[in-house]
Amino acid sequence: MISYGRLLGELATIALVLLAGVYATVVIDLWAGRMVARAPVRAFRALTFPIRQTALFLLQQRATTERPDAPLWALAPALLAAIAAASLLVIPFSSQTSAAGIESGIVYFGALMALVMIAVYLNGWSANSVFPIIGGYRFIAEALSYEMPLALVLIGAALPAQSLSVSAIVISQDSLWNVIRQPLGLPIYLIAGLGVAFWGPLALPDAADLAGGTESELSGVQLLLWRTARIAVLVAVAAMGAAVFLGGWTGPWLPGAVWMTLKTIALIFIMVGAGHLVARVRLERFVLVAWTVLIPLALLDVFAAGAVVLAGSPR
Amino acid sequence: MRVALFWMLAVASIVSGWRVFRTDSMVRAAYWLMASFVAVGIIMVQLDAEFLGLVLILMMAGEMTIMAVFMVMFMMNPAGLNPMMMVHQHRASIVAGVLAFVGLAGVGIFARFPEPTLRASGQVTAQLGHELLGDSMLIFETAGVALLATMIGALAIAGATGRFGSADEGSQEPGEA
Repeated sequence: MISYGRLLGELATIALVLLAGVYATVVIDLWAGRMVARAPVRAFRALTFPIRQTALFLLQQRATTERPDAPLWALAPALLAAIAAASLLVIPFSSQTSAAGIESGIVYFGALMALVMIAVYLNGWSANSVFPIIGGYRFIAEALSYEMPLALVLIGAALPAQSLSVSAIVISQDSLWNVIRQPLGLPIYLIAGLGVAFWGPLALPDAADLAGGTESELSGVQLLLWRTARIAVLVAVAAMGAAVFLGGWTGPWLPGAVWMTLKTIALIFIMVGAGHLVARVRLERFVLVAWTVLIPLALLDVFAAGAVVLAGSPR
Repeated sequence: MRVALFWMLAVASIVSGWRVFRTDSMVRAAYWLMASFVAVGIIMVQLDAEFLGLVLILMMAGEMTIMAVFMVMFMMNPAGLNPMMMVHQHRASIVAGVLAFVGLAGVGIFARFPEPTLRASGQVTAQLGHELLGDSMLIFETAGVALLATMIGALAIAGATGRFGSADEGSQEPGEA
């Protein structure tokens, strides 16, 4: 029998973690941008920036296009936010929190990240407008390119644990974190993660050369929801990276949840910082590099991880 | 609770499968089919085939999108945004549909399933792995590696830079165009 009180509590926890993560990411983004620009950071203004930005979006008039597919257009941000929230179900924030009873946590995460492609494409397609739909098609090419490296490095991380469960992968890093044991894993994961959240150098569907692409017809509340959902995906990607490559909740002195939060924030900082330091790449270059460089490197990562497991296992 | 969830998913998969044929756009049809597959995938998770159910959703997300893009490319319908009739050859397709349904339902009702039925051991994923990397490994790996190598090769050819610049700039000699 399922306890509904506990269920509601867990749902509220996930919503709170995501909102806090989104808030922190916006502040970190502003801070990193000011640092890169060598501009002074005013702490109070930085900390209240998300609130002011939200108020601005809420006050903005909402524009629409000629004959959009209204239900699908409304569905897109909800789907993206749901993907981020659902992926948090399998990410353990401490050794106590059990992950939703899903044993194949890594496969579950991969399936959700594949659905991101649908949310972004629908957001571009249903606006019934030129730039959004080009952005949608761009993202399909981008997503099909980063998905394989993403899945492969996650499989590589699952090999030492000999389990697809995220908790088991965290426990398997007790002696040595995967970021050191599999040096190719985290860099490839972070590149693919930038693609999943279409962020920074891989923010191709909503690029400036498309006048905003999938975002160009969004305004007001709709834009607020879309951006929030997208940042939530970035937070989920960072949290999964922290669990799978940085040892999750393990660490001395501090409680597990604090370590997990610190590691997640560190990965958010790296990804958001890349957005300010690395120029947006061209789509066809990224596709080519992903298929001819990232996938072979990710395969190498899997083979090396498998060889280490085989060498260490008793015959 | 589990039974109620099963019936909800079963109805959702059938209704969204029916909507595939009633909608008037290629993209909507593709994603109704996706919704149907997601419902079936969750039912498979319920039936302890967790890995298979999740992989079904993972693969279908990419496949339905690619299908939608290809349909839009081949049809004379700008971006699939204009309403269009999604069904044709009504009589033949009704006959084929009824025959397929009766056939599959007949298998479900009259076939003798192996006794005893497999118990939910929680080792389904491991068993699947032993099957794929045991007896079937040669076939499975040959097909997988060949497909991956083909895809990478196709991308490398399509994206190669030639004498007259990069692939996306066209193959025409500068000055001729």
